[in-house]
Amino acid sequence: MKTKHASPLQNGLQAGAIFAILIIFFILTGFNETAANLVGRVLNNQVPNQLPATINLVIFVILMALWCGGMAAKKPELDAPDRYSDAVFAGAVAGLLAGLLSAAFIYLTGSIAAAGTDMRGYFPEMSPDYINFYLLNQPLMTAVLYHFGIMLVGSTLGALMARGIGRSSWRKKLNQEVSSSTKKLSQNSAFERVMNSKYSQYAMFALLAAALIILPREWGPYWNYLMGTVGIYILLGIGLNIIVGLSGQLVLGYVAFFGIGAYTFGLLTSPQPHAIMMNFWLALIAGVIMAAITGILLGLPILRLRGDYLAIVTLGFGEIIRILLKADILEFFTAGPKGLRSLAQPTLFGQSFSTDVDFMYLIILAVIISIFIANRIEKSRVGRAWLSIREDAIVSQATGVDTYRYKLLALAIGAAFAGLAGALFASRNQFTGPEDHILMVSINVLCLVIVGGMGSIPGIILGSFVLKGLPEILREFEAYRMLAFGALLVVMMIIRPEGLLPSSRPLMENHKPDSQEKNQGEVVEDAAHS
Amino acid sequence: MNAIEKKPAKLSISTNLGRIIRTVIGVAVLIWMALRFYNVLTVEPFGADVWTRIAISGLILGGMYALIAIGYTLVYGILFMINFAHGEVMMIGSFGGYFAFEILKNIPTPTADDPSLTFINAYPILSIIIAFLIGMSLASMSGYFLEKIAYRPLRGAPRLVPLISAIGASIFLQNAAQLLFGPQRRDYTNPGILWRGTGWTVEIAGSPVIITYTGVFSFVLSILLMIGLFTLVQRTKLGRAMRAVAQDKKTAALMGINVNQIISQTFIISGALAGAAGVMWGIHNGLINHYVGFIPGIKAFTAAVLGGIGNIPGAMIGGLTLGILETLGPAALGIDFQLKDVIAFSILVLVLIFRPSGILGEALSEEKL
Repeated sequence: MKTKHASPLQNGLQAGAIFAILIIFFILTGFNETAANLVGRVLNNQVPNQLPATINLVIFVILMALWCGGMAAKKPELDAPDRYSDAVFAGAVAGLLAGLLSAAFIYLTGSIAAAGTDMRGYFPEMSPDYINFYLLNQPLMTAVLYHFGIMLVGSTLGALMARGIGRSSWRKKLNQEVSSSTKKLSQNSAFERVMNSKYSQYAMFALLAAALIILPREWGPYWNYLMGTVGIYILLGIGLNIIVGLSGQLVLGYVAFFGIGAYTFGLLTSPQPHAIMMNFWLALIAGVIMAAITGILLGLPILRLRGDYLAIVTLGFGEIIRILLKADILEFFTAGPKGLRSLAQPTLFGQSFSTDVDFMYLIILAVIISIFIANRIEKSRVGRAWLSIREDAIVSQATGVDTYRYKLLALAIGAAFAGLAGALFASRNQFTGPEDHILMVSINVLCLVIVGGMGSIPGIILGSFVLKGLPEILREFEAYRMLAFGALLVVMMIIRPEGLLPSSRPLMENHKPDSQEKNQGEVVEDAAHS
Repeated sequence: MNAIEKKPAKLSISTNLGRIIRTVIGVAVLIWMALRFYNVLTVEPFGADVWTRIAISGLILGGMYALIAIGYTLVYGILFMINFAHGEVMMIGSFGGYFAFEILKNIPTPTADDPSLTFINAYPILSIIIAFLIGMSLASMSGYFLEKIAYRPLRGAPRLVPLISAIGASIFLQNAAQLLFGPQRRDYTNPGILWRGTGWTVEIAGSPVIITYTGVFSFVLSILLMIGLFTLVQRTKLGRAMRAVAQDKKTAALMGINVNQIISQTFIISGALAGAAGVMWGIHNGLINHYVGFIPGIKAFTAAVLGGIGNIPGAMIGGLTLGILETLGPAALGIDFQLKDVIAFSILVLVLIFRPSGILGEALSEEKL
């Protein structure tokens, strides 16, 4: 089923419609202000506590228009001619459509605001100041014409530029570039020799170790807190990676194990409501074991189910745990919505070991040990059994792997890592409550595993930094973080399902059948994957 | 699918252990439920009026669940994927109805009797129809684009991939709505004839039970929509094409059915039903926000599983059953009403453990399960 060749007109209309929707969405959500702030940060002309300068918004709109043109100027199919005129025409059509629609929208909102109606009751971002801002502090008609003109001219120019640069399909290009650059790094013989020599590896390790020892002392409590969170998410990622990445079982309620680790630790060490006041290390171990046991108990009845059912059951399980933690009727046992306070701090040989620097060391140590363990398991017989289950459960069973037992083992080990992360998290925050264990934690961890690259530990570390560290640094985008996560998951699945840093073992499971097979994809899928 | 039932030759210890644990869980849950129920009936018995009230609200809730569950079942029947973002489609429909009412509320329509009348009260029935049409068409559109953008490029990929994409789409839509409309709850403005809380009063066991107009309206409308859908699937050409595609895509394509188009239309239909459920939710419950679709979505999935996923009458029965069980459960077991979500999710877990094919589901072959 080959689709017809898209004509330049179609390409232009499509890009124009997408960008019109995008621009209207940006205006309604107040993203224009955020983006202009960011441009202001780059240009260094930002005034604190004020709307950004108009020029910043204009720059942002120009960038959007150029991008719109670039999108419109798609490379035609192989046998169709690739002409400048087509590209420019598509860009102009896209600019015209996007410009018309967005200008109409701006005119509409501008005139509503001019009539004195406050739209904030329905769209909270649409304050009069903000409307004035995206009207560029100009009279209504002038602003509309500016927006329209920028879109039209910018999009045409963008198409011209894109055609001039000689784009191939951008996704393919991205994939090629990433893989070729990694290949280049590993194949360049001189580089390879240096990298593979024993001494350079020692030197790298020494450098890394020095950085890990010196940095927590130097960069202050804020960075210790931030990087500690990243470290805890690396732990969670390593655990979920064993379940999802290695054994191929999608678990959406992973936060339940995190919560059980944290609550076991909390209940054993908090003065309220039980006053057991256990030692930090013992409680930590108890949290890990308790989470692993929960994993086994949950897994025994449900691991018979496959893929998507398992996802929903575990999602339900996570919600059950959260609701039970929050419920008033269990308040005598879990302290209810208040949560647990003043939890134990780590001690070392009788000395308190609980400053932010000490905690950072503890988390780094936990991460290093976990990476080591996860690495050893992955390369063992167990790890190979997991991979075979992930690739094809039926074949793996036929070759003598007890799939049920290995899936259970994966769930238990993954849960144990979550328990460790939960206990550390609770101890560092001195608090744990039901709101620490919401579904979003599961989703975040799943995101970082998938974005980083399923089955690859460097990928998880990268993913944690990108998903937990980066949003803290780019504070302007805080409100848009979850939105970006959602979009990122969809986009990653479409263009690069193996993640940013895929594991060296090829992930057959994640590769789409070739395009010829697409029609029979369902049949292939039904027969081969279970 | 007439796949041959495979019987494992020899069960390992862990499989047996799993069976034992399953049995133990089942027996324990049954005994516990029986004890609690006995306790409720004997120690602090509710009157007939309370049970009636609970059953009525369960039926109303169940009707909405059934409408959403049909969407899951239709999509699962054709694509074998859980459309995780279906609850968000319902949320979009809900907001569509909300904005329709808000606009109609502000259109002055003076009549001879009352010059200050607005459209919503001058033409209440027309306003309700408009609100439903807007909500349903917005939800249909979002279902259509959801399939086109997030699922179609992944056709033929392993099952995990579209599921993750669906989760991403769900998060995206939820947060987009939060950014657009803000996190606060919004009050649905119903026309005067459907005022919330008003209704017929029936005397049961000496105390009045109110049967609300909104509840009756929602329930009747959801039953009508279900009958309509059933007729569509069983009697029309489109329905026949949908069933054909659900059975075998390749053969259906050979018979001249445009499979992609049928899949799009399936998403449009399931979106419309979810949108209707969303508007009903707003009219009946009154408050909506960006999160309104998420929990009902998961519960409707539970309902679809309960009835037997892929089976349309099953989704209807499952929805009504779940609605009743969820409202009846806390009262019958004598536990806090706060825990009604726990009951719904426990039903999901128990059904999947003991009877994954659901109430009406055929015995699914290993691959489909």
